[in-house]
Amino acid sequence: MTDNAPTPAPVPQPAAPAPAAKPITRADFLWTGWAMLAAFFGASAAATARFMFPNVIYEPSQKFNAGPAKSYDLGVSIKFLSEQRVWIIRNEKGIYAMWARCTHLGCTPNWWGDQNRFKCPCHGSNYTIAGDVIAGPAPRPLWRCKVELSAKGDLIIDKAVLEDLPGKRELAPYFLEMA
Amino acid sequence: MPTLPSLEEIKKEVIDSQIWRSVFRGGLWKDTPRDRSAHIIGNVWLHLHPVRIRKRALEWTYTWGLGGISFALYLILTITGVLLMFYYRPTIDLAYRDIKDLEFAITLGKLMRNMHRWAAQAMVVGVIAHMVSVFLRGAYKKPREFNWSVGVLLLTLTLFLSFTGYLLPWDQLAIWAVTVGTNMAGATPVLGNEGPLGNLVGAHINNDVRFVLLGGTMVGENTLLRFYVMHCVAVPLVVGILLILHFWRIRKDSFSAAPYEPNEEKWEVWPHLVKREYIAAAGCTLFMFVWSIVMNAPLEVIANPNVTPNPSKAPWYFVGLQELLVYFDPWIAGVVMPGLIIVGLMAIPFIDTNPKGVGYYAWKERKFANTGFMLGITMWFTLIAIGYWFRGPNFFWYWPWESWLIPKAAPRLTWNVFGPNPTWRLWCTPNLSAFPLWLGIPVVAGLGAASLLLPKLIQKELDGWKTNLAIVGALALVAAAMRISPLHVSLGQGAWLVAFGWMHFYFGFVMPQRHIRTLDWARYIVTMALVLSTTAVLLKMCARLAFDIKYLITIPGISMNI
Repeated sequence: MTDNAPTPAPVPQPAAPAPAAKPITRADFLWTGWAMLAAFFGASAAATARFMFPNVIYEPSQKFNAGPAKSYDLGVSIKFLSEQRVWIIRNEKGIYAMWARCTHLGCTPNWWGDQNRFKCPCHGSNYTIAGDVIAGPAPRPLWRCKVELSAKGDLIIDKAVLEDLPGKRELAPYFLEMA
Repeated sequence: MPTLPSLEEIKKEVIDSQIWRSVFRGGLWKDTPRDRSAHIIGNVWLHLHPVRIRKRALEWTYTWGLGGISFALYLILTITGVLLMFYYRPTIDLAYRDIKDLEFAITLGKLMRNMHRWAAQAMVVGVIAHMVSVFLRGAYKKPREFNWSVGVLLLTLTLFLSFTGYLLPWDQLAIWAVTVGTNMAGATPVLGNEGPLGNLVGAHINNDVRFVLLGGTMVGENTLLRFYVMHCVAVPLVVGILLILHFWRIRKDSFSAAPYEPNEEKWEVWPHLVKREYIAAAGCTLFMFVWSIVMNAPLEVIANPNVTPNPSKAPWYFVGLQELLVYFDPWIAGVVMPGLIIVGLMAIPFIDTNPKGVGYYAWKERKFANTGFMLGITMWFTLIAIGYWFRGPNFFWYWPWESWLIPKAAPRLTWNVFGPNPTWRLWCTPNLSAFPLWLGIPVVAGLGAASLLLPKLIQKELDGWKTNLAIVGALALVAAAMRISPLHVSLGQGAWLVAFGWMHFYFGFVMPQRHIRTLDWARYIVTMALVLSTTAVLLKMCARLAFDIKYLITIPGISMNI
């Protein structure tokens, strides 16, 4: 037998009966249709919901220069309260900045020096100078902001980096030690 | 000289013209019953009415026309609102200026703004009064259950329209009310970045439900635009659709739920009902005109996102909610409680199985339903009164006769009953807990379960007087014991304990035990859950105001504070 000898054509075998394809019933067809319709409405709802989340928001920067760190005297400074919503507090050891946003529902508390407290005008929460809640409904302490010293000796405060845990909030970068 | 045609001739000429006949069909008006019915059926605006209506439903004192008056106010609001839109631009730079222009530079601008503001407040009153009147007459019962629920949704949307409306002037009230309102949304469990479990699913300040409402991370340009669109387009559209549904159902349910009498008289809707509706609407409009001429709508100074007025109060219909927020965490007072109130109100027709008192005032036949509902309404308005008249600077308690200029001593320090780091001492150091969580969770859960189940488990009907006396006596004994003990509870604190404790046991135990212990379990549990969440508010107010308790139980790890 040589290579180029024609190979005999395979003897056609009787084809095994193909497994009977399950016919699509009318009910299956309709259920598929309804499911696709439901999926379409579901996806549309999800897409509409996603549409409501903006991808780019135009909001002011959370970082600002609060002037020379040395210019702050002992106590609570409200110099940047109406502009940046931050109290700058100098104590014996150094400086920290607290975001003036009540942790209850976001109003701006006022500093009452004679009673040594921050008091919120919306629902009556009271905080100590350290930011701890001592009365009213607020659930957690006030947030402290990241504070840095610029090369010129200016205080740079970042309201986007926050901390409220005792123990952590007294350390850098949420506290600036001053000689 | 040709004689001028008489008025009668002109009228005949006009009415017989092709134009008139094309607009108003029906031929010559002969004021026959046929004419009057054809007028109702053939007119698109009137055809939601039946042709004839029971005389009982026409009496002024039956409904006081409260639903119709609310709708008339809605129409006034639509008209004045559309007019205001011609001058108002929803941007931070322009909004406040445009309102000032409306006040001082635009002819009748002030009147339109006044009417819009006052009609909105009147509509809140009208819709609430409509709900109370429908409730007390049992008109929500079968077959009107669904329409009651639609009505509750309409009440909710009325309040939401007010809420979205008062951001628009961009004054101090606007920005702080919306700051507080959207921060409550931020405290929603799971969906809010400050709510319980929120951080577990990755809710953050720029992806949670508050972010969607604000269109940003702070109240700003996007917020104003979003609230404007909701206020002027989205919500009125939904209200309109629900109103059509509401009216259609009223029509299908034959207007009045009053019990039928034999051979009852039926009157024609034209003119009897239409006339009354017209008089009510005209009266409303007149009233709103006079009110708006006499009194100006409030406008505070321009919004400052950094400085909050002291005190900062919500508009009166939300001051009750603001007062609740003093006692409860935002996710409870701002999300769970309003949710429970709305769902609970909608559920009323489905849990009230009492077949009596449909369509008439029935104090004796519906003691439990009326008492429970009126307790809720009374509490809501009492909270409003407290927030409105009894709160001064720093939201501190000032009696109405006290001057706000006199500073108050700092509020007393608060403590928790159950929580981490227990001191095992009552009246303990501020912000610390008296007892540990491992004790607190079973105690609170056990007390809750007992209050929920006990009224149904006690099969024998208790004597009302004796039970009340026993409760007051027991509470007085507890108060006396606490006074003698080293705790030195004052007489005033003892009185608070007895009064609020009694209210809790009367509404949360005595009443349910007498009236609903025979309900099936599902309805019973739902009813009791609603009743007990109402009385729990009383208990928590007592705990805070008289005993300086901040939380009954606090689990800081998951922001779960009750």
